[in-house]
Order: sequence, then structure tokens, then C-alpha cells
Amino acid sequence: MKERIAIVDGLRSPLCKSGGTFANIAADDLAAIIVRELVARLDVDKNEIDEVIIGNVAQPVNAMNIARVIALKAGLPLSVPAYTVHRNCASGMEALTSAADKIWAGQARVVVAGGVESMSRIPLLFGREMTQLMTNLMKSRTVVQKLTALSRFRPSFLKPVVGVIEGLTDPICNQIMGMTAENLAREFGIGRDLQDEYACRSHQKAIQAMDAGIFKEEMVPIPLPPAYHFLQDQDDGPRSNQSIEALAKLKPYFDHKNGTVTVGNSCPLTDGAGACLVMTESHAKKLGYKPIGYLKAYAYAGLEPSRMGLGPIYATSKVLDATKVKVKDIKLVELNEAFAVQVLANLNAFGSAEFAKTYLGKSRAIGAINPDILNVNGGAIALGHPVGMTGIRLVTTLLKEMNRRNLDLGLATLCVGGGQGASLLLEGQ
Amino acid sequence: MAAWTLLTTSEGVATLQFDSADEKINKLTPKNMTELAACIAEIRNNADIRVLLIKSGKPNMFIAGADIAEIRNITSAAQGEQKARDGQHVFASLEALQIPTIAVIDGPALGGGLELALACRYRLVSDNTKTQLGLPEVSLGILPGFGGTQRLPRLVGVSASLDLILTGKMIDGRKAEMIGLADACYSSAFLNEKADLIAKDVAAGHPFVNRKLQGKCLETLSEKTPMGRFILFKLAKKQLMAKTKGRYPAPLLALDVVRDTYRQTAHDGYLVEAEAFGQLVITPEAKTLIQLFYTREDLKKYPGPAPKKAEKPIQSTAVVGAGLMGGGISWLLAHTGYTVRMKDISWEAILKGYESVKNIQKKLISRQKVTTHEADMATIRISGILDYSGFAKTDLVIEAIVENMALKKSVFSELETVVSPTALLATNTSSLSITEMASDLKHPERFAGFHFFSPVHQMPLVEVIRGEKTSDHTVARLVELAIKLKKTPIVVKDGPGFLVNRILIPYVNEAVRLLAEGVPLPKIDALMEDFGMPLGPLSLADEVGLDIGYKVAKILEEGFGDRMQVSGLFEYLHQYPAMLGKKTRKGFYLYEDKKKRPNPDLAGTIQSYQAESGLKPATILDEDIVARMVLLMVNEAARCLEEGTVEKPAYLDMAMLMGTGFPVYRGGVCRYADAIGIDVVVETLHRYSDIYGARFEPARLLLEMNREYTPFYDYT
Repeated sequence: MKERIAIVDGLRSPLCKSGGTFANIAADDLAAIIVRELVARLDVDKNEIDEVIIGNVAQPVNAMNIARVIALKAGLPLSVPAYTVHRNCASGMEALTSAADKIWAGQARVVVAGGVESMSRIPLLFGREMTQLMTNLMKSRTVVQKLTALSRFRPSFLKPVVGVIEGLTDPICNQIMGMTAENLAREFGIGRDLQDEYACRSHQKAIQAMDAGIFKEEMVPIPLPPAYHFLQDQDDGPRSNQSIEALAKLKPYFDHKNGTVTVGNSCPLTDGAGACLVMTESHAKKLGYKPIGYLKAYAYAGLEPSRMGLGPIYATSKVLDATKVKVKDIKLVELNEAFAVQVLANLNAFGSAEFAKTYLGKSRAIGAINPDILNVNGGAIALGHPVGMTGIRLVTTLLKEMNRRNLDLGLATLCVGGGQGASLLLEGQ
Repeated sequence: MAAWTLLTTSEGVATLQFDSADEKINKLTPKNMTELAACIAEIRNNADIRVLLIKSGKPNMFIAGADIAEIRNITSAAQGEQKARDGQHVFASLEALQIPTIAVIDGPALGGGLELALACRYRLVSDNTKTQLGLPEVSLGILPGFGGTQRLPRLVGVSASLDLILTGKMIDGRKAEMIGLADACYSSAFLNEKADLIAKDVAAGHPFVNRKLQGKCLETLSEKTPMGRFILFKLAKKQLMAKTKGRYPAPLLALDVVRDTYRQTAHDGYLVEAEAFGQLVITPEAKTLIQLFYTREDLKKYPGPAPKKAEKPIQSTAVVGAGLMGGGISWLLAHTGYTVRMKDISWEAILKGYESVKNIQKKLISRQKVTTHEADMATIRISGILDYSGFAKTDLVIEAIVENMALKKSVFSELETVVSPTALLATNTSSLSITEMASDLKHPERFAGFHFFSPVHQMPLVEVIRGEKTSDHTVARLVELAIKLKKTPIVVKDGPGFLVNRILIPYVNEAVRLLAEGVPLPKIDALMEDFGMPLGPLSLADEVGLDIGYKVAKILEEGFGDRMQVSGLFEYLHQYPAMLGKKTRKGFYLYEDKKKRPNPDLAGTIQSYQAESGLKPATILDEDIVARMVLLMVNEAARCLEEGTVEKPAYLDMAMLMGTGFPVYRGGVCRYADAIGIDVVVETLHRYSDIYGARFEPARLLLEMNREYTPFYDYT
């Protein structure tokens, strides 16, 4: 039998809304701070690290293979290799499971697995026409050629392509993520009220957790460049005064006419970074660590891109089959809140025999998830969803909460743009 | 073994290779020059040689210059002039060769080395960081005497040449190519290959012309017209006077030589240059600057036990305390490439630390000393923290918290529980006893003082303070670290004020006494600025902060008793908490919108102080004002040497130059005492001690020196 993978500890930056607090910090710098603190606080011998794996979606053009940049900026030795993984919203989880695979395969013993996203820093791009014009201009040799190339210019060429919008639009079904959420609202008949109510609850739980200082345990405060006059030591998404009334006032963002999904019941664009130290259980014991938990098993699953929000049930079904674990065995769940409707749709599907029969080829429902053990410290709707990093946060937050409650089994799962789901079964201390 | 080797090929390319045997660097000693002359004669007589390459046989080295020991030993102007003439002759014969000559420079080409290259027809340089071209003679108080003042202006123009000759600054290969000093700059790896290709090409009769240079030497209006040049020289002189206040004869004379000879025939110019060289080489300024050169070289190597080779080098560091000093030290460590854990007790303090780092970087970026990228890479090495996380893997901790013995001791006893057994512990205290601070430590041997001066990025000095139990090994490692940080380490014994403050504080204290005795404030400062100090003593006190100055003065008083007694007026002023110097905009001076003027309230305060203490204002001669302040420094310096606080006068002087801005041309406190005569020093001190009190009583060492007619320095 495979040995459990120990997650020794996890740390993260505060999560901050894009274009705001962290707009002046590059993704690689933000993640480097977290990796450096993780290594320092856990007193890791840097030369013992075999690999650094970082999940990142909008890979910055000036930091290709951002994992390597992060490792070096974090002060890890030149000899430690690093690579970047990309599975859209599951990139952070992919970093963790890649680390697990490497360790299980005997290719590594100690791995730093992390995730980072600076959605603030996703650039605006020149469109196809402007790019072509510049290419032509570069190719022209004579003045006449150059002038000819330039004469093709039209002001409309300057209209930028917004990288973040492009990134959030599925190229297969040609729908932006918000529209895939609307699809689920229709499929499951989940109305605006339920969504707003769920969103409001997410804020309340997050605020409660913040007030209790729960996130402090996993957070590295970030001094803010360039002036360093301020310190960011908490997430800036959760609103203590969030009311359903305020949410109800918002206009549907993606489908103005018939829609139900608003910016209030979706997760905001967010910047953040996180990292975990990963090794086998026995090695952790040998080094004298008391890991926050263990990765027992994981699964990724695929489904229609237009229904990507249902990824969690597809992936969870798979991991439960593989481990013979039942939903009722799971004591705590982190199910990422990309959209309120998407979480509600999953809850609906978990309890539905019909869904299991139609889509998963099973005779019985997978098993309903008790809402009381779901996202107990709030979720992405309040905290935010830095896409490449969220996986790390879910696992870290889940394990720390399991230990607080002395629970043995937890599930961290999320939906993945492009039509996938990821599910990790995790065991407590 | 001959230093010069001549190799010829069948294609008519000859290579003259210079490799000073048994020396790390190539120097133009008289013997090497004679040999060179013989080689040139041989080349002249060999009709098969069609092109000559001059190279160094040492990697990363061209020619570092003339032999400074030889320059130091010149005793008369005539002898100096002759030395210059001899060198000029050799280079003239090189220049007179009919064949093209190419200097291939991959490493320092300085002083005589550059002058040799200037006598060649072409200069090819590398982009190696070790490649530095310059005429640093003025920094030794002399001028280029082997034709540098003649060939350089004609090659690169008056303005560019003055920039090198008058400042002694060095430029890299790319800059040399840009100003036309080098004909081409190539990658170090391919320089020889390129040189061989060019040589073959030139041997085949094609003159080498670097396309980049064409049209670059356009003579500008200012260089080509007499009027333009007149203005140019005038401006240069003005700048020079502003910078040196006329206290350094070498650059002034060098300027005159270039100005007067630029339009003369070459022959006359060389005579003028040689004469000026002879004149300068025997000046006390030159002797002093050459002495300082040797001291600097000496300090680059630690004379004590070398650190064990097998030891893990310092990689990760920590700084405790993120104040102005802590921030500055963090910056320096990160800038040098170390990772830094910057610990303080609150995030506000840590943010201040980051701010200090950013402020230093901003200044250095605007002066183009650091690129934005380098600055960012340094910043990311610093992690601000509140706890001791990461300290277990730290190789060095420097403490820079407030000057409070009890607090510092508790920090170090905490540190001992968190750091590894091999970590070095250092304190940046400026005044507290190292031995006492170590008294509760389990391992006091790995603990020492490491005292930076403020502002850290500007002040080149670090006092490495040896406590009673500090091991040689710890001292050696800290010295090594200081050199890596590009600072000059001076090893000193523990004692109140260590070295620099112990000598400086009595001087400032005396300034306050003079003030109390009725000498006007501006006069005290002006006299000392005339003496050559960058800042008068009372302005300095304002800069440092009167509270800090007072604190250190009190520590010295406790340590040394009556002779360091804090002046009554200083005690009196200490009652005014808002009067702390520049930081409160009010001290001896008032600071209003970047201007300062004497604090008008001071007159009344002094009067009431005089009334209270029964002190009668007296008229004091200017020379006594200066002597009272300076001789107290001399006297204390002698005591430091007597007690073995510092190893030798040269090190003490270097510390004073770097730590206090004591005028460089005076060479330091001891050198100054030598210059005015130990007998005069002792006699004056006796006289003052009769009038002003026992603090002037000459140190035992001074009396001894006076008896035996021995100065601080060995002048033979």
C-alpha cells in the first residue's frame, strides 16, 4: 500500500481583490515570500528540498516557469529544481498531487508545493490586427514598405484584448465562466434568492473565522511595496455588513436579462499565494515534524465545459469509488465557491439518485453533504479565488480546521474551468 | 626570469607578453621598464615584424601601474623628474615604432599601465568586470608622469581626459570604447582571438578602423576653439576648487599641465609633465596619500588567524532591530547577496526598516549605483518577522536594537537558545561594553562588536570589537565579512567608545567648552571646517543628535573619569528635551527649510550658564581654539595606542578618516601630530593642562615618543 503523504504545514498570503492592495506585487514576489516563510518557519534544510512545484494559471510573461523564479527569489539553493503546473482552477491542487506522485514514484522526498495568482497583473493585449501590423512593420526593410505597413493602421486596432476575460472564457463552449454558472442555475432550477442567501452566509462565516483569528494561523502578513507604509495581514474580501438586501440589488452580470448570477454571489478576482511542505509520513516523522494532515487519495474528472461547476461531484464520485469511502465518513468539506449556484448545484447533485444514475452510472445517490460541515470558515465568494492558488488554501484551511475539531477525514474539492473537477481526501493528525 | 617575452609568427605578427615573475600583479618596476626598452629595440631592428600585440601573461590583468614602493622612495624633485623622463623615453620609443602596435587589455590598465597602452596605436579592451582603465595618480598625490597628461587629452579630447586625470576614476571596457579611449571592446572570452585576427589584418596592410568609432571623435566647439577650451579649463578649475578647496596640489597641477601643454609640441609637454611629477612626488600630501594607499591594502588582508577553510560560508543572516541602523545593515547584507531575517517587535518597526531600505535604494538608483532590478532582488532577500523563525538556519545575527545593556543582554540570551552552535553573534552597539554584553552568554567566544557608522550605505568603516572572550576565529570571520560587504574593518579592543567615538567625543566636548567660554558658535565650526573637517563639531553633534551624543559622552565619562567629564554646558543643555539637534530642527543650530542658522536662544542659555557656573568669557586665539580640540584627539589617540585598543597608528588614522571625515590630506590624527611635531604637541598639551586642566595632560606614550624623538610613523 502507498504511504500517506504528509502535509507538514501550509502558509498563505492574505487574499486581496485584484487591482487593489497587491497590485504592486508581482506574482513571483508574493509567492517567494510565502515559500521563504514556510521554509524558515518549518526550519527546513534547504538542500533537502528535492523539488518546487507551483500551480499558476495566468503565467506572467516576464516569469516563465514561475516556480523556478519563486524558488530562487525565496532563497532556495540553485540546485533545487522547480516546475510550474497548470490545471486551471485546480493548479494549486495539481501542485500538491504532482508532489504526491513524485514522492510515491520515488522521484522526490521533500517537495514544496504551492500556488499563486496575481489576477491584477494579467495584461491587456494587442489584438490580432495590431499584432499583424507590428509583425509586418518589423519585416519591412524599405521606407516604402514601412509606410505601407503603417498605412494599414486603424484606431480600432488599439482596442485591447482583456487577458483576464479571455482567460475566463471557455474556448470549447465559448462561454465565460459566469455563463456556465447560469447553465447550472437553469439545469437545477436554483433561483436568485437561494444564491444570494448562500453568498451572504459565506461572508458571515468568513467574518466569524477572521474575528476568531482562525486565518492568522495560516497567514503570512505582507508589507506592501513600493512605499512599505502598510502591512496587509488579513483577507480583504469578507464584508461584515453584508446583507441579503444589498446582494439583491445587484444586476445579473453575465446574462443581464434572464440571469441570476451577480458579482455578489460569485467569487471576486483575487491575488494571493500559498505553499505547503510535502513529504512521506515516515520522513516527516524522522525529521520530527507533526504534520497538519495527510493526503490519502485524490481524483480528477472531466465533464462538459459548459457544466464545469459540477466538477466536484464527478471527481468526488471517482475518489470515493477508488477508496471505498462513503460521503457520511467525511467529517468536513471544503468545496470551492466559484459561484454560489455552482455549490448549490453540487449539493443538489450529491443527494440526487437521478443525477447519479444519469451522469455517473450509479444506482444510488452519492450521498448528501451535511451543509453544517461545508465551508465552515466561509469560502471564495467572501475570501476570493486566486485561481492558481485556491487549491492550496482549501487543503490548508481544511486540515487546520479538522485538527481544531479533532476530525479524521476531510474532503477538499473544486470545480475547474474547462470542464473538470478535483477531489482530495485528507486525513487529520 | 624576464618579465617580457617576445614571440613572433611567420605571418609577421609579434606578441610582447608581460608577466611580472613572482608577483600577483604586473607592475612597471625600473627593471621591467629597462627590459621593455630592450624588447622595443629588438622589435625595431627586426624587419620581419609587421605588427605588434602587447598582452599580459596573467589572466584578468593588464598592468596595474608603476611600483608604488619606488615612488615612495623618491627623495628629491630632480630624482622624480628623472624617473618620469626615463619612463617617457621608453614609451616614446614604443610610440615611435614604424609598425602598428596593439595593446590587448583584459584586466586593469592603470596609471603607467594605461600610459603604456596610450603609446600604442590601438587599444583593444574586454568587457571583463576586472577590466578597469584609469589614471589614479592624483589619488596618490601625484600626476601621470609617463606621458598620460599628453597622450590622453589628444586621444579622447580635453574634457574626457580631465574627467579621468583629475579624479583618478576608473572606467570599464565599454565606457573606454564609448569615449574613444579603446578602439574596440570585445567579450573577454574572444578578446585574444579577435586581437589575432585584427593583427593579421593590420599586418596585411589594412588599418584597423572600428566602425563604431567613426565620426564619434567629432571635435566639439568647446574642444577645438581656444575660447571653448579657455572656458572648459576655467570650469574644470572651479569644480576642482569647490571639491578640494585647494588642499590637494596634484589635481590642480595636473590641470595646469594639461592646459599649458595641450597646444604645445609634444616634446615640451613631456618636459612640463616630468617637472610637475618631480614637484608633486615629494610633497607631504603625496607621502600621506601613498601611506594611506598602503594602509588600505594592508587592511584588505586580516593579519590575524585565517578563518578555517572548511567552514560553511555565511549565507543567511539575521538582523535584530529594524531601526535606521538595522534597516541600513539589512540593506547592506541583502545588497551583497545574503538573505536577511529582519526581526523587530512590531510590524510598524519592520515597515520602517523596509522604508529605510527603500530610501537607500532610491538614492543609489538615482545615482546609478544600483539598477532597479538589483534593488528589487535585494529587497526580496529581506524578510521582516516578529519571531525567531528561521534563526536556527542563520549563520550570522547582527543586533541593532536600542542602546540599552539590559535589553541587549536579554536579546542575546534569547538568541543563544535559537541559533545553531556555529552561528556568529554580533552587536552594532556604538558605545556599550562588548565584554559585559557577553557576560551571561554560554558561548561568548562567538560574540563580538560589529559597529557600522551611520548612514550605513555611505560610511566605509566598520569597527570589529573584540570582547575579552571573543575568539580570534570570530574576529577573523567578521573581518572577512566586512571586506565582503565592501567596508573597511578595523579591529579594536573593547572599551568605552571603542576607537572612533572615544577619540571624537572629547573633541566635540571641547567644542562645547569653547562655546561656554564665549567663543561664537559659527567660529568654532568654521575653524574646524577650515582645518578640513567636513562638518564643524557642533554641526556634527546636531547631525548625530544631542541625546545620542550625550549618552555616549556619559559612557565615556563613566569609563575614563575626569578627563572625559561631560562639559557643564552640555549637561545644562541636556535639560531641554526639545533641543536634540537636526531631528528636532533645533540644537546648536535652527533648521528651517533646508537652511541652518545658529540657534538664537543659545546666547541666553550660555549667559545664564556662565552666570550660574561663574565662568568668565575669555578671548581665545584661533590657533588655540583649533589646537584645544585637535590635540585632545591626538592625546586620546596616543592613549588608545598605548592601551592596545588598536594595533597601529596607521589603522587608527584610517578609522578616523573613514569614521569621522578627518581630512584625508592630513592623513589622520597621528599623521597630523607627526606633521606638527611630537615635541610641539607635548609642549602645547603641557601648557593647556596648566591653564585648562588635567584633561590635557599628555599621554604617557606621547611623553615617551618625545623623549626618544620617535614619531607615530616610520618615515625612513
